[in-house]
Amino acid sequence: MSLVGKKCESISLHESIKDDVISNQVTPEDVLRLERITDTYLCSPEANVYDIDFTRFKIRDLETGTVLFEIAKPPTDFGVDNDSLEDSTEEPLDPNAGRFVRYQFTPQFLKLKTVGATVEFTVGARPVNHFRMIEKHFFRDTLLKTFDFEFGFCIPFSRNTCEHIYEFPTLPPDLVEEMIAAPFETCSDSFYFVDNQLVMHNKADYAYNGGINN
Amino acid sequence: MGFLTILKKLRQKEKEMRILMLGLDNAGKTTILKRFNGEPIDTISPTLGFNIKTLEHKGFKLNIWDVGGQKSLRSYWKNYFESTDGVAWVVDAADGARLSACAAELRALLTEERLAAATLLVLANKCDLPGALSLQQIREALDLDSIKSHHWRIVRCSAVTGENLLEGIDWMLDDIASRIFTLD
Repeated sequence: MSLVGKKCESISLHESIKDDVISNQVTPEDVLRLERITDTYLCSPEANVYDIDFTRFKIRDLETGTVLFEIAKPPTDFGVDNDSLEDSTEEPLDPNAGRFVRYQFTPQFLKLKTVGATVEFTVGARPVNHFRMIEKHFFRDTLLKTFDFEFGFCIPFSRNTCEHIYEFPTLPPDLVEEMIAAPFETCSDSFYFVDNQLVMHNKADYAYNGGINN
Repeated sequence: MGFLTILKKLRQKEKEMRILMLGLDNAGKTTILKRFNGEPIDTISPTLGFNIKTLEHKGFKLNIWDVGGQKSLRSYWKNYFESTDGVAWVVDAADGARLSACAAELRALLTEERLAAATLLVLANKCDLPGALSLQQIREALDLDSIKSHHWRIVRCSAVTGENLLEGIDWMLDDIASRIFTLD
């Protein structure tokens, strides 16, 4: 199967939405109720006081065993904290770098039956309690899927992985056509809570027209 | 209807189970987990945290937690006991030298109140290796026959060949199901 996966980081959202940023009052119930993609990040990058760092994303097709997409942080990045990075760079870093991922797939991706989605992450010096992820996928204003999963406790300085193996939701053929025809209008919000406090908010968008000449 | 009854009904509807895989380091927990899920097992490094898999199997929604077994990590195991329905205790059958340490850790685990209701599956892994101890030797070293507090079974298996993995896990799931899900 020829599937194209591509990721680019460091795409920041529009500046004008900044004053909208809500402080750490956002609860899991709040985000579970959301009916569309958020305009803003609901927490600042600084909310991640546990140094939770996503180091790998992988998607595989369980039917064939094929890895469809994999991206890992280069090993040289491991163990380097952001402060020393900032010190050594002249240009100011985009504060939202790494919070946004863009994926480009071929139309075949939407025909998969069973997929495994893996994330790998490291945590810093503090133990993490009740680590919970809520992820919502939308096409335009239609909710496609919600993940709600509690990782629970994370050991200080640990490296952890989690693979969700699931049946790909069956989408009506006309919706599939629309999603292929409208690249990057399929979006997701990933919210991460520790002890019910929002500590990270990542965004992604998706295109399924890879390999099609536009 | 009592609270526990409601909980039981809820879990029954979702048919959800939580499995905890523990054992000494290098016992093969992650390899077993990967083999069970059809992943390549050629590049596995020590687990310095956990590996979680969520999947559907036999109509159950399984959440499997594989937590690192290095000595420095064992004191954190207790953070993963809550709501555990089954413990898969993985033994390196070719590591006779550490069998008594393995037995001591298992003993300690079985006294844990939060694991009191959990089914115990002992996986005697690496049975394909020359020099691997027999099932009877492991059974005696771990003093399994004295365990009255938990439903248990020991299975000889190999994560590399896949031998008996499914049989062992399926026994555990059936045992859990017969305990926590009422029959309709």
